[in-house]
Amino acid sequence: MKQAGGTKWNKYFVAGLLMTGLAVLLGILGMFWTPYSTTAMSAAEKFSPPSLRHFFGTDNFGRDIFSRVMQGLGTTVAISSLVVLFSGGIGILLGALTGYFGGLLDEAVMRVTDAVNGFPSILLTLVIISILGSGRQNVILSLGIVFVPSYVRIVRGEFIRLRDADYISRARLMGVGRLRILFVHILPNIFSVFWVSVMIGFNNAILAESGMSYLGIGVQAPDASLGNMLSDAQGYLQSAPWYALAPGLTIVWLVLGFSLFGEGVRRRSGVS
Amino acid sequence: MIRIENLSVAFGRTEVVKHVSLDLRDGEILGVVGESGSGKSVTALTLMGLVSDSARMTSGRILFDDVVLREAGKPLDRALYRSYQGAKMSMVFQEPQTSLNPTQRVGRQVEEVLRLHGTLTKEERKKKVLETFLAVGLKDAERVYASYPHQLSGGMRQRAMIAMAVILHPRLIVADEPTTALDVTIQNQIMALLRGINQKQNNAMLFITHDLNLARRICHRVAVMKDGHVVELGTAEEIFERPGEEYTRRLVEAVPSRMKRISDAESDRKTGSESPVLEVRGLSVYYQEGGNSLFSAQRKRRAVEGADFAVYPGESLGLVGESGCGKTSLSKAILGMNRRIEGEIIHHSVRPQMVFQDPYSSLNPAKTIGWLLQEPLRAAGALDRSLAMTKGDMEAAAYDMLRRVGMGEEYFHRRPSELSGGQRQRISIGQALISGPGFLIADEPVSALDVTIQAQIMELMRRLQREMNLACLFISHDINVVYKMCDRIMIMKDGRIIEIGKTEEVFENPREEYTKLLLKEG
Repeated sequence: MKQAGGTKWNKYFVAGLLMTGLAVLLGILGMFWTPYSTTAMSAAEKFSPPSLRHFFGTDNFGRDIFSRVMQGLGTTVAISSLVVLFSGGIGILLGALTGYFGGLLDEAVMRVTDAVNGFPSILLTLVIISILGSGRQNVILSLGIVFVPSYVRIVRGEFIRLRDADYISRARLMGVGRLRILFVHILPNIFSVFWVSVMIGFNNAILAESGMSYLGIGVQAPDASLGNMLSDAQGYLQSAPWYALAPGLTIVWLVLGFSLFGEGVRRRSGVS
Repeated sequence: MIRIENLSVAFGRTEVVKHVSLDLRDGEILGVVGESGSGKSVTALTLMGLVSDSARMTSGRILFDDVVLREAGKPLDRALYRSYQGAKMSMVFQEPQTSLNPTQRVGRQVEEVLRLHGTLTKEERKKKVLETFLAVGLKDAERVYASYPHQLSGGMRQRAMIAMAVILHPRLIVADEPTTALDVTIQNQIMALLRGINQKQNNAMLFITHDLNLARRICHRVAVMKDGHVVELGTAEEIFERPGEEYTRRLVEAVPSRMKRISDAESDRKTGSESPVLEVRGLSVYYQEGGNSLFSAQRKRRAVEGADFAVYPGESLGLVGESGCGKTSLSKAILGMNRRIEGEIIHHSVRPQMVFQDPYSSLNPAKTIGWLLQEPLRAAGALDRSLAMTKGDMEAAAYDMLRRVGMGEEYFHRRPSELSGGQRQRISIGQALISGPGFLIADEPVSALDVTIQAQIMELMRRLQREMNLACLFISHDINVVYKMCDRIMIMKDGRIIEIGKTEEVFENPREEYTKLLLKEG
């Protein structure tokens, strides 16, 4: 049911769209072009505070922080997108199959997801990373695996709710094939719920990726990521606070944007 | 004693009640009838001071014994209302399931009314509640007192609600569709109870219903509402025998009654000479209790026992019975949706279809009407290559079906959410029939619809049945609807088919006691 406040363009949606849009655009741009080279050092301009020349100032090697934030944003957004794509895709597949068919497969998958949920997610990623080694692909893979259960649960719940709907019973009577019922008849009806969880998943992925890079098991230097910039900056918190503030506030901006966006999507579609 | 003067109520900018004036005397039952959206419930809720805060009273006032309860432009005086609610006026709602708090014992909830309004001691209160339970026909009063709502049947819950409403002997009782959610036989008991209370306590009753037959039986006077207006007000006899307004006449005529049948001319045609489209022999249907989980024990319960019948081409076979009698279990088994069966089901038609009761859940909300109408054709083509059609042909067939169910081409690209209940049911019927099945099960296809829409859908179904020589199993709890639609009828009780025969014969000469009861009360 549509709520009274569920207008198509609510404030949350607009604010979220603007904030995430700006950040994502900067990030994508940062993958190809930055105002300064992200690796060019300059001893003369070491620790210069924010100015018109360097929006966010420079770091301990005299590198332009704004350029590095742009690149870091690009890395973070790309990794988060792939994580969400990976876990969301597998989540839809498993959730659809277990929710619709139930039975032994459902029991098995649910017990496995329970087991995965039983571990703190950061611990589990650490274990996976220590087996696979660090680096981009492995960050994506490990976070992807850790996030799968949450999507399975949501998708499974929706499929259970809809598998006995009258219109699905009728589709079965018409002789519509099982796969077609799953992915053509039911799937479009769960998107409003699914998008909300994708937004939440995005946030979790951003935070987890930053956290891992901060701990040094994510994206490796000299590539910039918001997490490893924070880690580098912590030695200079007193002398050059902008160095830590720039990537930190960027993460806040991005996460807040996605939260607002998710809330906006939720209100728009009236999901509660 | 109660006067509603020139009442208008608006939600936002839309007025849903427009200049309604009604009055009620002690001991009088005033019926308010109208289709959904006519403003009858909002009128009642406003009278009771229970309408939601988003509603504004834009004109008029409400008086109780010359005390102004509410006036347009003045805020709701909650304290004043509270002194009237329960003690002087009370309400019985439609849904006995949701009107009682599921976490509290029924006795406690009824007692609450006494606690709020009286000075009785605990023992006196309990005694009074038990007395009232007995008065409303809850014979096992002690047990009901200690039960939770879910342990009672729908009828018992409604009696408990009525007990709550009458326990303080209020002067006004507002009953908003009090029997709509109940079975016919229970319905009649509740109606008799309400009338008995009215006579004994001499209180005024505002009786809101969409069911004209009910209104006719219980009300002294009747107000007919349409689009927020009272279009006609008069004694029950005047309204039903000599309706003055065109709309009232249409409403009265739309009520299925045994006076007029659609199908007299052809009903003799199909009697067993042709081979049946469906044969059911010695069919028992079971369902499982205790979940699907790996470790929980499963128990079988029999929902249908030893059903034997056949359906012939072009005929309508009616299936009548109260809820829980096994109608739906039988139909699901016939369509292969429940495989826990014994006995034989032999189909001589390809892919029988079904039309469901609830028009709001029987169309996929994510798809357009055109897509929905083409889907059966796509499915048929995917199963059997020889039936595959080109895109253009399917589209043409969908447009054709849209026209045949009486809808314009402009609906092709719309989604179900843009359609009314009646329109959705038309699309459901079109979707069921587009692949040309020889047999259709219609499970209460009109009982969720307004009475004028009901009549249109029934006409449509009869017409399509003739055009397509379609056999139909028509399930309903409303014996009058079945009378209007069906050539033969089948009466079901507690999982057994107790009587089957030609409609006229069953109606004129019912063999079973239960059938007589159903006929008398319908």
